[in-house]
Amino acid sequence: MNIAVLLKQSIDVQELMVDPDSDKIYLEEAPTKPGEIDLNAVEEAVRIKEKVGGKATLIMLSTWGSSGKRKREAREAIKRSLAMGLDDAIFIFGADGREVDTYVSAKVIAEKVREIEANLVLAGEGSEDNFTGLLPARVAAELGWPYVAYATSIEVEGDHLIVTRSLEDYEEKVKVKLPAVISVTQEINKPRIPKLMEIVKAGKKPVKEEEFNKKHESKLKIKSIKVPKVERKKVVIEGDLDEVLDKLLQALKEEGVI
Amino acid sequence: MRVVIYSDVLDLAKELIGLANELNAETELILAGMEPDNVVGVDRITLYRGISPEDQELVLEALKQAEADLYLLSNDRRGRELVGLLAHSKGGASIVDATSVKVEGDRVIAERMTLGGKGVAVEEAKMPAVISVMAGKYKPPEEGKSPEIIEKEAPSIERRVELVDKKEKPKVGVPLDKADVVIAVGRGFKKKEDLKMAYELAEILGGVVGATRPLAADLKWMPEEVWIGISGVRIRPKLLIVIGASGQQQFSAGIMDSKVVVAINNDEKAPIFEVSDYGIVADLYEAVPKLIEKLKR
Repeated sequence: MNIAVLLKQSIDVQELMVDPDSDKIYLEEAPTKPGEIDLNAVEEAVRIKEKVGGKATLIMLSTWGSSGKRKREAREAIKRSLAMGLDDAIFIFGADGREVDTYVSAKVIAEKVREIEANLVLAGEGSEDNFTGLLPARVAAELGWPYVAYATSIEVEGDHLIVTRSLEDYEEKVKVKLPAVISVTQEINKPRIPKLMEIVKAGKKPVKEEEFNKKHESKLKIKSIKVPKVERKKVVIEGDLDEVLDKLLQALKEEGVI
Repeated sequence: MRVVIYSDVLDLAKELIGLANELNAETELILAGMEPDNVVGVDRITLYRGISPEDQELVLEALKQAEADLYLLSNDRRGRELVGLLAHSKGGASIVDATSVKVEGDRVIAERMTLGGKGVAVEEAKMPAVISVMAGKYKPPEEGKSPEIIEKEAPSIERRVELVDKKEKPKVGVPLDKADVVIAVGRGFKKKEDLKMAYELAEILGGVVGATRPLAADLKWMPEEVWIGISGVRIRPKLLIVIGASGQQQFSAGIMDSKVVVAINNDEKAPIFEVSDYGIVADLYEAVPKLIEKLKR
């Protein structure tokens, strides 16, 4: 099996500061981290490789510009994935997320998938900052490969995969002919924590760095991002517990919710 | 302008018809393996009785064959899975999680939540575009034109995905996203048995119990179906009581549409208090039993 794993450099939304009064979102200042569910895809690639052999390559298209900080964070994310057991990586930097939509990203990534002659593409079902899940579907469409989303388990059976996937009301088991693109959920596995030796060795694994080359026009434009105005009262009720709970029940009655 | 609508859930398709009517579009509804019960407000229904909704490849092919400026899909998992596939094959834009959709000339403009709930993005694209719209944002029309119904055979294509097995997930009572009262439990509970307090509280208030990600995914104390958050279920109850959950961003984004939020947490600095109407700084092991006792009186 020759696997391509797509890793997103995601804004760490937990650390992202926003100011509702001025609608300012401090994107530049926020740190990035590897998409959490993408790490499940990394783990799954390593497990598949351990079972059936082959090679697994990380592909990262960074869409948060090319500042030193962003590059450093991206290289750290790549190193972590290599330490988990991927063989090598392709890192494409310099794209600006406001100009590069999933249409363009899929074109760029699919080209790399063809270049490394992968026959399986794995990705997370979404990443914390945007959670659209659109990219793997578009990569599949660009390659002309079948696509199955929301995988909770993947078994290799010759030139097919048996994929269990989780929908709202159903769990489905499907047989997919390779080559294919699969997006995984967080339930599929628990990403391993690399040991020190593996981290040291990861530093020596090949990482091909390429500058993003704008050949395609985006289909989608982000006109603005505003801070949602969720009006919450934020009243912390004080006093001894009895009193506090009485006040709470009174307030909930006045709100008409109990 | 032409709109094509598809969903594997008829009620969601009807909401999309409500949206299409607001856009004054010529509308076609595509249905796979289901009957058009009480559907009004569309010009045409194309029925594929030979395609079942789980057959993603055939549904996609049927949608590819339909010509439209705008494709509206439901935002459930099957719908979302199709958005990128269809958009890419049409060479168009794609938007998921849309909360509102407008058309201006040859462009479509949609709003969606982004950055883990910390931002609302306004996205614009030249049509064709494929958009999946969040449930509950548009009302199904009660009256309108009666559609012409056309039946079509399933398209014939090379098959690469085959359904081997399909199991219904165990039902957890009232679905979380439809409940009026939700009790959300988090890591503050020390052991699984202690959750019975939350269930008791839910029973008294006529609600259901949901959980944060660690409880559902890591500790497996509760089924995945009751995991509240941006990658789980997004809820919109009248009353939400959050017990022992700190308020991680991915959880908080999933509760934004709740009417009244109450938080019980022993850490006064927990971010959950920032997104709550009423906060109680207390040990849940003292506060919850006492609250139950008071409600019983």
